[in-house]
Amino acid sequence: MIALALDGLRRAIFAISIVAIFVLFVGPIMILGVTSVRPASGAFYIWRGTNFTLNNFVEVLHQSQVLEAMWNSFVLSTLATILSLGITVGSGYMLSRFGGWIQRSWFATIYVFRTVPYISWVLPLYLVNTRLGIYDSYLGLLLPHIAVHVCFFSWLMKGFFDGVNPSMEYAALIDGCTRWGAFCRVALPAAMPGIAALAILCWLSTWNEFLFALILSGKRTPLITSTMAQFVTETGTEWNLMSATAVLAMLPALLVTIFGQKYVIRGLRM
Amino acid sequence: MAQIVLHDVVKKYGTFQVVHEVNLNIADGEFVVLVGPSGCGKSTTLRMIAGLESISAGTLRIGNKVVNDVPPKDRDIAMVFQNYALYQHMTVFDNLAFGLRNRKVPEMEIRSEVTRATQMLGLEPLLARKPFQLSGGQQQRVALGRCIVRRPQVFLFDEPLSNLDAKLRAQMRIEIKALRERVPTTSVYVTHDQVEAMTLGDRVVVMKDGWIQQIGTPLEVYNRPANRFVASFIGAPAMNFMEVELVEEHGVVSAQAKDFKVELPDEQAAVLRKHSAKTVTLGIRPEQIRLGMPSGNTGSSFSGVVTVTEQLGSELVIALNVADSTIMASRISPETGVSPHARVQMWVDGKALQFFDHENGKAITCAPCTLR
Repeated sequence: MIALALDGLRRAIFAISIVAIFVLFVGPIMILGVTSVRPASGAFYIWRGTNFTLNNFVEVLHQSQVLEAMWNSFVLSTLATILSLGITVGSGYMLSRFGGWIQRSWFATIYVFRTVPYISWVLPLYLVNTRLGIYDSYLGLLLPHIAVHVCFFSWLMKGFFDGVNPSMEYAALIDGCTRWGAFCRVALPAAMPGIAALAILCWLSTWNEFLFALILSGKRTPLITSTMAQFVTETGTEWNLMSATAVLAMLPALLVTIFGQKYVIRGLRM
Repeated sequence: MAQIVLHDVVKKYGTFQVVHEVNLNIADGEFVVLVGPSGCGKSTTLRMIAGLESISAGTLRIGNKVVNDVPPKDRDIAMVFQNYALYQHMTVFDNLAFGLRNRKVPEMEIRSEVTRATQMLGLEPLLARKPFQLSGGQQQRVALGRCIVRRPQVFLFDEPLSNLDAKLRAQMRIEIKALRERVPTTSVYVTHDQVEAMTLGDRVVVMKDGWIQQIGTPLEVYNRPANRFVASFIGAPAMNFMEVELVEEHGVVSAQAKDFKVELPDEQAAVLRKHSAKTVTLGIRPEQIRLGMPSGNTGSSFSGVVTVTEQLGSELVIALNVADSTIMASRISPETGVSPHARVQMWVDGKALQFFDHENGKAITCAPCTLR
């Protein structure tokens, strides 16, 4: 009897969880999708009426700023991923394999930066970027992204290298490799699932990032996330166009997620 | 093949010294086993020979060359690790070929060397597999193969059988022994398992707290332990120890404790008479204690109460309470109907007794081979 009641309770909790996940995560995406194919007049009552159109996408794709923003976001995400991974892999390996004051200081620096609220960086960064003359440029956007990635992902990378048996590197040293050779030919390939997972997470986090895009980019290097916000005008919000842009912005991220999820799962299992 | 010489080799981490002035000569083609409990410095010593740890002081020679500052890749050694250390992203073939490829050996030669090693170890059907597709025993065989293909001057083994279950360990021990006959390369083998030490080594080096306690053949360290630590570490069940008083009556020296008296043969008595202290530690191997009354002139009997019996099928091991100490007796006939709480009569041959200094634990009645 008690077992039956417990089973029922378990089923109820499971059902409530499914509904909660749907309402919180799938619901907004559905509303976004439906809004993107509704005319401007139908954006406020999306569940009523049968007018559907693809004109929103056509109109958005004819706006050069949207295309430029997507290209900029793509370039920035890719460059930030490559460059920050280069540093993060080295940083994670150092934290995993070596001891000493340099490693401890580096670890402390990362820790401090992780504890500082993200938003408190942005305004000082705006001032630094304008002083250095790199405001609204790739460099001005790349550097903060790399800094954030290095601080946030070095710990993850350390964890991946902790999972790689150091004896493999010792065996490589005896088998004729230098320290660098053992790192490149043994440790790095062994940590590759983790690195692939991190690359995907890096790329997605840059693509989806909004705060830096809003404060540190302008008309010269618009990014997709900040461009979406520009549909909020003095005369009102163009929800249909904003939704169409958001759907377009979601597509690359969705593709990366779908094709990269096996690497993410494999990497996180390391 | 090459000789290995460690001269006053020291390892320090900061001010903490973990290996103290190790002096060891390993002859060309010899198989030496470093044995001791965890933290005794045996693995650190091996890693210094491999070049994976720096040497704080002293000299290490491999062949005729001092290799203190030579990187591992240039020492012409091969090593088998406790956790196999196979390259997980490579196939078995690539694992075996890795060292040769690093040394720019022609691919034809690599194939022939890999074939030789795989035939020797029965790895032919596994060449295309990745390490995670192999069992523990197969992985260890690949690790051995990786050593063989290189034909190095020295083999180093760092507790290679520790990760295997008891049955597989016994099997691999035989394989290593057989392999050694076919590939007689100078080898240093680290283990905490005294059975591996006794069965594999030409010589055994017993270590404790970073000091070498004794160097000798397996029989030497077993029959003539240099001190109480070696006596207790080598042998299973461990040697029994008992505090005894040396008493001389009518020219006969005996070792006495409460309800315990063993008369000593003349040779033992002569050595013990010269010893300054009259309280010494008596050591008796469990297999030297026999059930019943003594046979021969040098046997002495004593009685004890059985506390525990362990039936192993081939033998019976019993724990006895004698003179307020618990002592173990092994190799008792399994058919003997000894049960707990029974008082039994035991005897021991005086020639089989060993005596250690009560203060410093050094052997009194056997000549130490090497002792610090």
